[in-house]
Amino acid sequence: MKIIVAIKQVPERDAQVRIAADGKWIEEADLQYALNESDAYALEEALQLREKSAAPDGEVIVISAGPERVGQTIREALAKGADRAIHVACDDLGSRDALGVARLLAAAIRPENPDLVLTGLQSEDFGLGQTGVILAELLGLPHASLILHVEAVAASGAQNQIPAQLKVKRELEEGWFQTIELPTPAVLTIQSGGNKLRYATLMGIKRAKTKEVRKLAAADISADSTPVVVMDRLTLPQKQKSTQMLGGTPKEAAAALVEKLKFEVRVL
Amino acid sequence: MIAILPTLAEPQSFSLPEKLLFAVLALASLYSFWNRFGKILNKILHSKKDAGFHLFPIGTRIWDFFWEVLCQAKVVRERPLPGLAHAFVFWAFCAFALVTLNHCAVAFGIGFLNPEGQFGRLYFYLAAAFAFACAAGILGLFIRRFLVRPQWLGEQLSYQSGVIALLIFVLMATYMAALFVTDNASVRILWWVHTLTLLTFLPLIPHSKHLHLVLSPATVFLSRGGFAQIPPLADDEDFGLVAGTDLTQLVSLQAYACVECGRCTEHCPAADTGKLLNPKEIILGVRAYLNNVGPASDQPLLGEYNSQEAVFQCTTCGACEFQCPVGIEHVPILVGLRRGAVNTGAWEDEQGAKLFLALERGSNALGISPAERDKFIEKQALPIFDGTQEYCLWLGCMGGYDPKGREIVAAFARVMNFLGTSYGVMRKEKCTGDPVRRLGNDLLFQQLAEANLEALAQNKVKKIVTICPHCVRTIQEDWKQYGTPPAVEHHSEFIARFAYKLPTQSTGESIVFHDPCYLGRYRNVYEEPRTVAALAGNLVEAPRNKERSFCCGAGGGLAFLGEEKGERVSHNRAAELVATGAQTIAAACPFCNTMFRDALAATGDSAPQLLDISQLVARGLPR
Repeated sequence: MKIIVAIKQVPERDAQVRIAADGKWIEEADLQYALNESDAYALEEALQLREKSAAPDGEVIVISAGPERVGQTIREALAKGADRAIHVACDDLGSRDALGVARLLAAAIRPENPDLVLTGLQSEDFGLGQTGVILAELLGLPHASLILHVEAVAASGAQNQIPAQLKVKRELEEGWFQTIELPTPAVLTIQSGGNKLRYATLMGIKRAKTKEVRKLAAADISADSTPVVVMDRLTLPQKQKSTQMLGGTPKEAAAALVEKLKFEVRVL
Repeated sequence: MIAILPTLAEPQSFSLPEKLLFAVLALASLYSFWNRFGKILNKILHSKKDAGFHLFPIGTRIWDFFWEVLCQAKVVRERPLPGLAHAFVFWAFCAFALVTLNHCAVAFGIGFLNPEGQFGRLYFYLAAAFAFACAAGILGLFIRRFLVRPQWLGEQLSYQSGVIALLIFVLMATYMAALFVTDNASVRILWWVHTLTLLTFLPLIPHSKHLHLVLSPATVFLSRGGFAQIPPLADDEDFGLVAGTDLTQLVSLQAYACVECGRCTEHCPAADTGKLLNPKEIILGVRAYLNNVGPASDQPLLGEYNSQEAVFQCTTCGACEFQCPVGIEHVPILVGLRRGAVNTGAWEDEQGAKLFLALERGSNALGISPAERDKFIEKQALPIFDGTQEYCLWLGCMGGYDPKGREIVAAFARVMNFLGTSYGVMRKEKCTGDPVRRLGNDLLFQQLAEANLEALAQNKVKKIVTICPHCVRTIQEDWKQYGTPPAVEHHSEFIARFAYKLPTQSTGESIVFHDPCYLGRYRNVYEEPRTVAALAGNLVEAPRNKERSFCCGAGGGLAFLGEEKGERVSHNRAAELVATGAQTIAAACPFCNTMFRDALAATGDSAPQLLDISQLVARGLPR
């Protein structure tokens, strides 16, 4: 099975984000970047599918769009076990919306004819949760979102031994899950937490040095590369503390609390 | 006076058949010795070269050789009675080198020590004195091994050792007897019994643990230098001890030098609390691998001959390495095996992977947001390091994120404020990499070390002081592979230096100090924390103290792994500290502190209070 995993480089979770001088973007200079968390789970799912598969020709390809620094994250994905990578080079990711990014990815993915495309559910920076779904639409493939687990099952009645169908576990609200079957090729967006992630190893990093990273220029693969989003202004969330102390006897305080939970916060 | 004593009797002449018989037997004995020893030597020499090994500075090597081999200092110090018995056997062997050469030369009429001459007479009597001590010593060791039977010698009796003891005894007895007989027949019989014993003994050496006679002097002399030193990886294809091809010459030499005395096992916190790990068996596992598989093989070292589970139970406390009388460096071997498993991804452990991922993506081993560290710094009003202060106060993961560790930092900050020290904390700090270094994750360790070295250089930090001995060790020794770390010291050393400026508390409180492994054995700092703790009360000692201190169970990254098997190491040690009857347990490491906090909670309400030495001092400062 040929699996493509679309990954994104995002500021490290611990990063102290500051607004750039022009107020339209974040200060990138001293930021540390890391692999988007749910993309890490998408990669793990792909690696496990390849490892579990009996077919020897399984391949995991990672694809990422972004500037030069994205190369670091691509290397890490190769170190964890991906076979090769495609880097869609573009410096204007911020001015492309989810549709724009999906167009870039779709153009790069199409010639590969993958059996499966995995992406993380959403990115930790913008959190739009759209790119994977739009990507499926652009590729004309069926999709499912919020996936915790993917299993390859042999297509019923088919002659060949290569699994052509998928059984996936979706996360629903309130602790409910849904299991559905899909044909391949398909696009799945993966939820965090479905697997245990593997750690990066020294051997993996050394082996990654010899793996192929194909670079594609954004302008070359997508005719429509005009920015569609203009950033007007970025601000940090305003911190405000609004603690209310409920006085009186414990009984009165409890009554006041119930009152507030019922009619102000409306959670009861 | 010496002239009136009897002389050593030697046969005056040998017939040709006698000479031929001796020559044939001697050659057979030498051949049998070399047949085995040559193979062992070959395996050692065909192992990989040790990366980062330097013979210099040679002075310390000569000193170690003199002190540990010639003086038998370590052998005697750690087990005085059997140690002394062993020392007499060893010194007798040294004295007998000349006697034995002469003994063999006599057969061909070319003896060079004249029993009638001044020197010969003197030397033979000197040797006789050693022979007596040796015979007494070996008899004592025989009684210990076969009648007293201490448990760390293993359940199975080593009959080989019995045979060797008998041979040594016969060697000494026949020598001493030769001083008292005069008739030719008896003299000849004694000479032949002595000779045959000698020729039987020689081939037994490489076939048994008595190989340490030959190898341990080399092992002591050729140590890696420093305690528990983790060597650098040789090249891009070196991932630690994965297979036979990764065994280095030092590892192989040490594996063959093991004398199976079991001192390592006796002091091992894992072995003592019913875990699988037995450091002696690890070394013997490597030896068995070398014997059966060899240093050219790709077969994994972990599996048939050593267990991965056991290797990851090591707290890297270094008690084994500290105790070893033949110079085996257990910690680099255990960490080497872990490196082999982790660097190739063969180690799968839920908690371990969680720790690695927390440090791949975040800054601290506890996996907490650094915003929490910022809040703590703000709340404690700790000054930020800006390049103008003398010291950088390194918080470490425990000091920055653990509630108890923060209390220690706060107390130490009070002490420094009282002393008027200029210090500051870094805005950003990553884990020094101690737990991942000891667990064998070289990739992550390098990333953490390099990021920290860069940040410290940018901030122009010259001196670091920290509450954590693990940070001290990692910064000072382990970071060296990736740059030049600033000077670093532990807060016990800092406070002890200014102890004269600090108030003494006449409380009469009894305090037992627990030596952290990474401060004691790793850094050789024993007195400073005691000086500090003594400011607050009267010190008492636990049975296992200083060099023999027993681990809290947290080291080697184990604080971050899952539940222990068997008894908890921390409970074992806490019970010992409680049994001293001290009102207060003084710790000097945030990891020990957190381990004992949990262990003491399990002992009930009567538990003594647990404080870091800085908290003891801060208590006596004016508010």
